[in-house]
Amino acid sequence: MKTSASRSPLHAADELMELVVDAAHSRNLPAFLERFAQRATRMLDARWGGVMVFRGRETDLYQAQADADASDLQAAQQAKLIRLGRETRADAETLAVSFDPPLVSGGAEHKDGQFADVTFVPITASDEESLGCLCLIRRKGTPSPGEKHLLHALASHAALSLENFRRFSQLERSKRQWVEDIDAISDYIVVHDRSFRIVRTNRSLASHLGVPPAALVGDPMSSLRQIAETRSEIPCPFCRDTQQAREEYIVASPERIFLVSTSRTPGVSDDDTRTIHVLKDMTDRREAERRYRELFDSIQEGLFFATPEGRFLDVNDAMVRMLGYESREELLRADVSTHLYPIAAERERFFTALARRGVLRNYEETLRRKDGTLLHTLQNITAVRDASGKIIQIRGLMLDVTEQRTFQSQLQRERDFNQKILNTTQSMILVLDTAGLISYANRRAFESGYREDELIGHRLVDWVEAAQREDFEAALETTAHGQQVENLELRVRRSDASMGHFSISLSPMRDEQGAVNSVVVVMTDITDAVLLQAKLAHSEKMATIGRLVSGVAHEVNNPLAAILGFTDLLLENPAIPDNAREDLQIILHETQRTKDIVQDLLSFARQRPVQRELVHVNAVLRQTIKLRSYDFASHGVEVLEEFDEHLAHALGDSQQLQQVFLNILNNAYDAVQEVGQRGRIAIRTSRQGSNIEIAITDNGTGVTDTERIFDPFYTTKQGNKGTGLGLSICYGIVRAHGGEILCRNNENGPGSTFIVRVPVATEAATAAAIAKEAGR
Amino acid sequence: MSTSPILLIEDEPSVTAFLRAALERRGYAVEDASSGAEGLEKLGDREYSGVISDIRMPGSVNGAEVHAWIQLNRPELCTRIILISGDTANSDTQQLLKQSGTPCIEKPFRVQQLLTVVEKTFGKP
Repeated sequence: MKTSASRSPLHAADELMELVVDAAHSRNLPAFLERFAQRATRMLDARWGGVMVFRGRETDLYQAQADADASDLQAAQQAKLIRLGRETRADAETLAVSFDPPLVSGGAEHKDGQFADVTFVPITASDEESLGCLCLIRRKGTPSPGEKHLLHALASHAALSLENFRRFSQLERSKRQWVEDIDAISDYIVVHDRSFRIVRTNRSLASHLGVPPAALVGDPMSSLRQIAETRSEIPCPFCRDTQQAREEYIVASPERIFLVSTSRTPGVSDDDTRTIHVLKDMTDRREAERRYRELFDSIQEGLFFATPEGRFLDVNDAMVRMLGYESREELLRADVSTHLYPIAAERERFFTALARRGVLRNYEETLRRKDGTLLHTLQNITAVRDASGKIIQIRGLMLDVTEQRTFQSQLQRERDFNQKILNTTQSMILVLDTAGLISYANRRAFESGYREDELIGHRLVDWVEAAQREDFEAALETTAHGQQVENLELRVRRSDASMGHFSISLSPMRDEQGAVNSVVVVMTDITDAVLLQAKLAHSEKMATIGRLVSGVAHEVNNPLAAILGFTDLLLENPAIPDNAREDLQIILHETQRTKDIVQDLLSFARQRPVQRELVHVNAVLRQTIKLRSYDFASHGVEVLEEFDEHLAHALGDSQQLQQVFLNILNNAYDAVQEVGQRGRIAIRTSRQGSNIEIAITDNGTGVTDTERIFDPFYTTKQGNKGTGLGLSICYGIVRAHGGEILCRNNENGPGSTFIVRVPVATEAATAAAIAKEAGR
Repeated sequence: MSTSPILLIEDEPSVTAFLRAALERRGYAVEDASSGAEGLEKLGDREYSGVISDIRMPGSVNGAEVHAWIQLNRPELCTRIILISGDTANSDTQQLLKQSGTPCIEKPFRVQQLLTVVEKTFGKP
């Protein structure tokens, strides 16, 4: 028996040659592999042949077309072969394989036809990768060495073809993928050759023009002018300089803006050049940029980008305006960082803070405008850092708060000013609520001696003299209705319980709704002013009276001289009868009295010059008391001496002062005589500042009008007790001493008190007086 | 004994009348002038044994000026002047009296006061 191989070796060589040709021209792998299986079956005279191709875990089986004495394998039979084929490693291994169900025909060598000899030949790639397996069900036994050789050759061809097919399909796939990728790009891509004919476009571009991509191939580039019109001389609307390998520029059409990136590469042949234009539609980005710029420039806050050194990279219009520059360019051009910071250290402080925190929120900084004026800013700053953490840019937003700051500092100044006024004014300023309770008192109020617990929460009206409380309540009521009350003069109890004369102004304070919610009370103690005014008025009155009296006295003296003179002459006349002589005596007496009055008037009106000598007031007083001591003792009038034994000397005329004291004592004596009870006169001396004060207090009748008591002829005394000029003269004397005399009724008890104040002798005056004394 | 009269310068007629009566009763010759100016005129015309002048008088010449004029023009009468004042407390008057030592009678005065000063200054008539 002949094997097919041995039967026709030449035929086998032909078959192999045909196989090579088939492999070279086949584009359809399954068909080729089926033909291959057929050819192998035929060449080795097998009952059945197949090629397995491994794809990962999958295995594709390509079978020879069944001929007369062979039939296609059933699935189970195929599965068994595939399992064995995947396990095969040895060369041309022949195994006895039992099939179930058994192969239908043949297999006579094996009983029941269950077993068949199957040869497996692995198909291995050049890199030893297992590509598949050639599988033949033999008619008999193991293959001969010649057959094995043939099997190896077939397996090599199969491997080569499989590898080729695989490479080819990879290439196809990647080519297809590339086109897909290009088509997937939304940017327009067009490739043209040296003669400006379109070689390729991507789908985006074609669909923009409404045609399939292939339709454009071969068209001139000028046909794309509709995408973007350019005035270029070059036939391609997207080429600028064909000598450049790369170009990038903006091309704008009325509707769209493109960023054109161009690359030029050598083509397939040496003399060809491929030009690739990628058109990126920037319209939206440009719009976004435009909007950003618009926002950047129209925003009222200053925006800036700056280098860490402080040079501005970009600023908006508001920033330019804020800093007082003419234009953005001027600000960007100038190295302003040194001018900008009035204090160089401030910039350091700023940069240190920024470096530490990276972001500065509401950072307050004072900058200097171009014209040198100061700009108060509030900034929000972000530092932009590079990978190493170094600050490469500073971005910020700046608010001009100069006005607020100015307003704020003005407000602060005003507040300070008000506070100072409140604290330094000589008036007490209180705030009352609508119920009249004190809710605030300024420093002066406490300095006046009031304690906080006496004031805050208490009714101010309680401090007002009882008789005047109604007036105060009425004023408070008026103020509560929104009206101001000015210069209300009331007597108010001071912190030391004494009553003071106060000028009070009440002003309403309103809440946001305009309703009066509190009352500001300004109280000024005008007691001294009132007293001074009264004194001034009094002394003015006295001066007027003095001038009047002086004039009258002079005019009276002439007729008086004639009356007195002629009366004397008449009395000398012996012819005058005795009864007439008695009448003349009366005239004489009354004239004499008139003369005394005029003399007193003149001594009140025109002061005798005061002798300037040191006066020991206590001694003068004692002397004066002695003059009346008999009368005092005999009428049971007690005299109390409360003298300051260390009293300084006064400078003046002791005779005149004695006249004053005597006058007051006489007055006191008369006053205590009038009341039935035991009279008491207290005389107290003390130093009061630069004055010596002599207070003479009696428990007598008191004085009806303490103001008018020093007026000439003001007297309450009966009969011929005096000329009515005594106290007027006292007034004149004390005034001539540079002192004062006043009278007041006792507050606690009957009677009145006369107070005489004369200046203490100054050191110089004392020294001069002592020298004069020594020289006498 | 001088026979020259005393010149009495006084603007108030009642006072002049009283002075004239009092002096003439004692035997003095009296001539009067009702103003300072008239007094000076009379002093220029004839001799007087002495002058009694009121200090305060209306018109251009008062007692102080009469006194000053006499010091200058009739030095022999310097010690023979008596002034009459309504107000010796007046500081000008006080100064004049203190400086010159001129006797002064204060109005109103008693006849005896007047005669004492007159006899002391002019001597008895």
